[in-house]
This record gives sequence, structure tokens and C-alpha cells, in this order.
Amino acid sequence: MKFVLLIFLSLYFSASLSNEQAPPHSFNLKNGMQVVVIKNKRAPVIAQMIWYNFGSGIEKTGKSGLAHFMEHLMFKGTRKFPDSYYSNYISKIGGSENAFTSYDYTAYYQVFPKSELKKMMKMEADRMTNLTLTKENVKIEKQVILEERFQRIESDPSSKLDESMRSILFPNHYYGRPIIGWRHEIEGLTYEDVLSFYKENYKPNNALLVLSGDVDLEKAKKLSKKYFGKIRKGKQESKLDKITDPDLNTNIFVKMQHSTVKQPIWKKFYRTTSYNSDVNNSIALDMGFKMVASGTSSLLYENLVEEKKIFSVVGGYFQGLTKGEGNVYLYAIPNEKKTSSEIDNIIMNEFKEIINKKLTPKRFEIEKKKYYFDTIYKKDGVLNPAQIYGEALTVGLTLDDIKKWQEKVNNISLNDVKKALEKLYENKNYVLGELLN
Amino acid sequence: MRFIFFLFLTTFFLSKNSDAIQFESLETKNGIKFWLIEDKALPLVSISFSFKGGSILDPVGKSGVTSLMTSLLDEGTQNFTASEYRLFKRENGIKISFSTSKERIEGTFQVVKPRLQEGFYLLHESINKAKFPLNEIKKVKSQVEASIKIDNSNISTIASNKFNKFFFKDKLIGRNTKGSLETLVNISRDDIQSIYRSSFIKNRLVIGIAGDIEPNLAKKYVDYVFGDLPSKKFINPISMLEDLNKGMKIIEMKTPQTTVVFGQKGLGRKDKEYFAARVINYVLGGGGFQSRLYKEIREANGLVYSIYSYLLPYEYAGVIVGGFQTRNQNVGKTIEKVKTEWNRIKTEGITKIELQNAKTYYKGSFSRNFTSTLSIASLLMIVQYYDLGEDYFDKRDLIIDNLKLNELNNLAKNLFDSETLFFMIVGEPKI
Repeated sequence: MKFVLLIFLSLYFSASLSNEQAPPHSFNLKNGMQVVVIKNKRAPVIAQMIWYNFGSGIEKTGKSGLAHFMEHLMFKGTRKFPDSYYSNYISKIGGSENAFTSYDYTAYYQVFPKSELKKMMKMEADRMTNLTLTKENVKIEKQVILEERFQRIESDPSSKLDESMRSILFPNHYYGRPIIGWRHEIEGLTYEDVLSFYKENYKPNNALLVLSGDVDLEKAKKLSKKYFGKIRKGKQESKLDKITDPDLNTNIFVKMQHSTVKQPIWKKFYRTTSYNSDVNNSIALDMGFKMVASGTSSLLYENLVEEKKIFSVVGGYFQGLTKGEGNVYLYAIPNEKKTSSEIDNIIMNEFKEIINKKLTPKRFEIEKKKYYFDTIYKKDGVLNPAQIYGEALTVGLTLDDIKKWQEKVNNISLNDVKKALEKLYENKNYVLGELLN
Repeated sequence: MRFIFFLFLTTFFLSKNSDAIQFESLETKNGIKFWLIEDKALPLVSISFSFKGGSILDPVGKSGVTSLMTSLLDEGTQNFTASEYRLFKRENGIKISFSTSKERIEGTFQVVKPRLQEGFYLLHESINKAKFPLNEIKKVKSQVEASIKIDNSNISTIASNKFNKFFFKDKLIGRNTKGSLETLVNISRDDIQSIYRSSFIKNRLVIGIAGDIEPNLAKKYVDYVFGDLPSKKFINPISMLEDLNKGMKIIEMKTPQTTVVFGQKGLGRKDKEYFAARVINYVLGGGGFQSRLYKEIREANGLVYSIYSYLLPYEYAGVIVGGFQTRNQNVGKTIEKVKTEWNRIKTEGITKIELQNAKTYYKGSFSRNFTSTLSIASLLMIVQYYDLGEDYFDKRDLIIDNLKLNELNNLAKNLFDSETLFFMIVGEPKI
């Protein structure tokens, strides 16, 4: 679907491109823009992704939704390529395209036959500075975005619960503000807001270009210099003051009760460490939490679904590819009616038990192997690698971090993992949520 | 763990340092035909396979049994308990998944090269040795129940399930593949075992393989997994789909935005004019940001966030389905616009330029199928599934080139008919 809004990222960076046989090439243009080239010649196809290092986080107070609004408007045409020329062209050559906005970044991508590289780069560079937006464009697209908000959030009690839980978990940081924006603030966004947002932020020094697939390095260098290299850099990179959140200090339960809900669901969100602030600890947490909660062979699932039969489903994941704090997400569906704190107690007791008794060296070895195998799968395709590199670099990791990833993974001990999980166990910065009829 | 390694795999193969893609049509000793693209770019193998049949064969009153059966294929086999199976899968980087649709059971299997043997061993267990323990049936039933309840809490799935129920007057086709809370209760272990035995039939199987595996080895493994399955005559029960509903039906639900799913009769995948119909629909509502529905209803009027139409083909019959969501007060207006576009495609057809663009789209987009081993394997599977022919990859461009504007517009005139459209509307619409 077009214009995907990333609320919960499901990409696991831990399963990264370590052990790369041919590492990607990277170079910088004079205006500060970085270009990364990942070669893969299986099919005569190239994926181009441009990652801007800002997302909804950069919006001024009262202007929530502006970054995502801008993303929609980036498809509205330039002088050279007016109206929907861009999308028409991609379609004509059999390509595909999309874009997404997150808290920390905004990205656009196209997948197309390799013969079209030049034109695709030319058009992507062109819309970085030459958009010709009309008031009419902005007015109509605002209606589309309101429909999008209705579709994704307002018509879905589960999404409304998530939105509310996040706003409480992050009372200060922009992670508490919905990417798509609050409805009343979207309604207030103006043509002038959009225009100044565009002019201020869409600059080469805020961008990272990733080319993946059957691409020639020299050609990529020449073309990126020619099209992106001539764009003047902005005054400074779009940088944000580092905002942090206070400890929550109270027990917070959020309840969403709605007549359309037929299946009660229990949720828990934590604020945690991130790869950006601590790579090794995050890898340890990720590995550990995967053993605990990822999939039907996880320990929580084994103990609480298979053995004790308390839940029909239980699981969760760690999302740490963030500029600010990361988060851990847990969910469960009980077989019989239980209160939110009863469920929390059951899961936390089991969690403690797992840390103390069930995380065996054998289990840990299995997880390490799985990590390694996942890296092989992640390379199968052209868009996936571009996405992994783009996201990692945009939130603040370096190519060197990625290069040494497997080494870092190998150096993690079971003890590191246990420590990371114990820290999560002790973590009081969480919100409990209940979806009910 | 009760696990015995089998012995026939001792040969090593030198990698042929070549990245040229070659498609081979192979046959095993036990007479199973399959297609393979050997690709050594990465040390992994992907397989896509499917068995004709699917949820349409669920007995009356037991809808959901096929889907339930496929969900249980990793919940205990002769040599693995459910937990052992999943841990083994995790440990060896094996991916196995099954899904049930109306007309077929589809499976995908991926394994890294150093664990080929373990991977195929596990797949063999699922296909040939599933045990269906009672406690696991109980567990998976409760999971399916939860998933049906979640579907019933979500306005889009409610609308599409209701659409199926009321659009298809043929009650068998209109059923939900997952079943319903009522039918789930009626399904016994015997029902599951009997559908297991009757679903995995050798001559209903098609297989596509891509990745780092040599043809002879692939043949051996295909026989190992599928070679002992029985053969049995099969007639696809989905025939003409003559009896479809039209007009509209409204289900009231308290929500700020209404969901609409609509449809009319289409064409089967084996119909000679199928590709032509697909091209027409690409122009009407299939082409993402290009389609007339998108341009008129989203881009020019801001009435929706997403709007689309697509051909839903079964083997010998099919339907055209579309959908959108819009604020309650705009429902009537948006439906009128859909009808207008529907009439326009019927009376005016598509333009020369639209045809040209669609042709280049279909030609150019094909190479995107070759970017991952799994997408290659799926493509090989689907081309066999619909009997498109071993020369399909060569003749596909020609089929596209040969599409004539007047023939297409003739088809558009006969096929699209806003009078026969059925609109399923869920929400609080103002019409």
C-alpha cells in the first residue's frame, strides 16, 4: 500500500548484513550527501532509496503530521516533471515506488530496470528542490491524509490504544506524538507550513542515497555527482536538541473499551536502550528478548501457551533502531478473562523464571546460529539490504558498526544477555494497555 | 530428540561460478515434475509448492478444516513434538509455512545450504507424518478463534467477509477460509486427519525451486518429500460463478469512516482473455497511482486514502473486486464516482496511450520477480499451476505485444457492467 506509516517497525537490525562478502561502497558528495552502493547482480534491477534524516520529530509544537503530509506532497510534480509525471513514468517502465515516514526519518524508494538508473536519479534529485506545489494540491491532500488517519487510527480501537499508550510512555519526547499527527493539528496545517518545511529540510546534507542491485559503482558516482552534487547544501543538518523523558514513577494502565472489540488483547510498552546509545547492550537485549518472546519457539510461548495453557498467544519484540530511546513491545491473549495486572504478574514471574533457570547455554547457541542464518536470508533481494543500511545509518550507526556486526554478535556472552534481560525486568518505565469490549 | 539422519546425501558439488539464470524442467523417479532455477548467489534454497484443492473442499458444516489442518502441520509429527519441531526449525534456520486459500494449499520452504538435509527432513515430516495431537488441536483452535474475533473487530475484514458471504450466492465459495466460531467447534480430529489424507495428492502438486541446489539433488529431495504421496483424480469444483449478487447491502456499525467492498463477475485465469482483462483493470483500478479510480477519487477529490480494483481469478471462473474507505458523509458520492468510471471503461474503453503504458508496465515489471529466490520460486510455481506453458517466459512479451486496442475495448464492453456491481457497505453511511 502506498505511503506506509511506520508505527511499529518490524525490521530486526540484529539480523543484519554482517559477514558481507562484498561490503557496500560509500562516498560523500561535496554538499554533504552520503551515497551507499550495494551490489547484487542476480536480476537486472536496481532499488533506489533516499533517506532524509528527519521524520515527525522535527515538527514544531502544534504542527504534528507535517513531515508525513510533506511526504505525500513530494509526489505532486516539479517544473521539469509536472503533476504525476514521476509516478506515471515509473509505472510505464514497470517499476514500483513508495515512501514512508517515521519519527526519525522519511524515505522514498523505487525499484526499476537497471537501464533507467539515470532518469530515476535525475527525477529524485529534481524533487528535492523543485517541487511546484499549489494551494489546491495541499487542500486536497489534507483530505486524503485525514481519510488515512480515519482508516488507520480512528476506525481501529487497537491503534487508538497504541497511540494513547505511546503518548503516555513518552510524555516529553516526540516519540509520544503520532507520526500521522493529531487530527485537530492536521486540520490546521497550511500551505505556508508545508512550503517552509520543505525549503528548510529537503537538503542534500540531510539525505542519504542507497542504490542496491545491478549497479555499476563508477556510473553511480558520476550520476550522483551530476544530479545530486549540484544541489546547494542547507545551512545545517536538521538536528534536534536531545530530549529525554522523565521516569514514570507511577503505575499506568490504559484501557480502551469499545463495542466493536470482539477479542480482548493485553499489551505492554517499555522505554529501553537503543543501538544508537549502546550497540552491544542492544544486541544482547535483542538476542535475549528473542529467546524469551519471539515466535512460537520462544520460552514464554513454550511455558505459557504450550505448557500452562494460560494464553492462546503471547509474544513481543525489541525495536532499538531509534535516535532516542528504543522500545520493547509485549502482547498476550489470555484463554480466560483476567485483569491487566494479573496478566502482567503471570508474564513477569515467568520472565524471572526464564532468566534464572531456562536460558541455558544450549538455547543461547541455537539463538546465535539463528542470527547467523537470518543474515543470509536478509541478503536475498534488492530492497531489503537497501532498507537495512538506510535505516541503520540514518538513526546514527556507522558502516563500521555494520561491518563488525557479526564480530559483536560473537562476542556477546550468555551473561551479557541475562544482564540485559534483568535490566528489562527491573525497568519501571512501561505502560500497560487493555483492549476490551 | 527422536531424529534419524538419512543416508543418500554424500555427494558434493563444485559451484559453477556463473550467475546466468537458467530454468530447467525436471522430473523425478516417482514422476513428479518441477521447475528449477539454479542460482548460487547465496547459500540458500527456496521452494514454493501448491496442491490444488483448498478450502472449497471443506465439508458442509466444517468450514475451516483445511486451514486448521495446515496450521497443525508443525504441531507434532511422528518424530517431533510441537516444541521439538519448532526448536529444530529455529536452530537450523529453516522456514516452512503453509497457507490455505479457496482453491489451493500453498507452501513455502526455505533453508540455508549447510542445513539442506535437516530442512527437507522437517518438510518431509509435515507432509507425510503429521500427528495432530488432541492437545495441540485444542490450542490451535483457540488461536484461530482469537484470530476470527480479531477479524470481527476490524472493519475492513468485517466488510470483506460480509462481501464474500453476500456476493457469492454459492454458499460454498462464500465461506471464510478460516471457518467460523460455529463450524470450528464441529471439527474433530478425524475430520482433520481425513482432510490431511485427501489434500496432499501427488498429481495435484506443482513445485518451483530456486537457489543453490543442483538438479539431481533437487530431484532426490522432491521425491523424498513428495514421492510417496498417493495420486487421485481431481475436478476443480469452482465452475462458472453465474450466480452473483448485485445492488447493495448495508451493515450498520458505529464508526467515523465507512468501508465499502464491491465486485462483479470476472474471468478465470485459464480464460484466453484473462491477460487482456488484467490490462483493462490496470487502467481502471489496478495500477496503483496510475489508475483512473485513484486519479479521480483520491487525487482529484481527496475522498479516500486508498482505492483499488483487482481481478480475483480462480482456475475456470473469476470475479473483479474493489474497495475503499471514506468518511460516512461521502459514501454515496464515492460510490457514484466508482460507477461512473465503471461505465466509462465500458462505453469508451481505454485509450491508445493507456494501452501503451500498460504494455510497457507489464513488460518492465516482470524482471522484479527475479530479485529474490523466493519470488523466483513462486513465479515458477504459479506458471505451472495455471498451465501457462514451458515457453511462457519466452512468449510473454509477445502475448503483451499482440494485445490490440479494439479487441481490448470490445472485451471491456462485454465484461464491465456497473449494473451488475454489488456493494457491501459497513459503517454509518450517508447515501
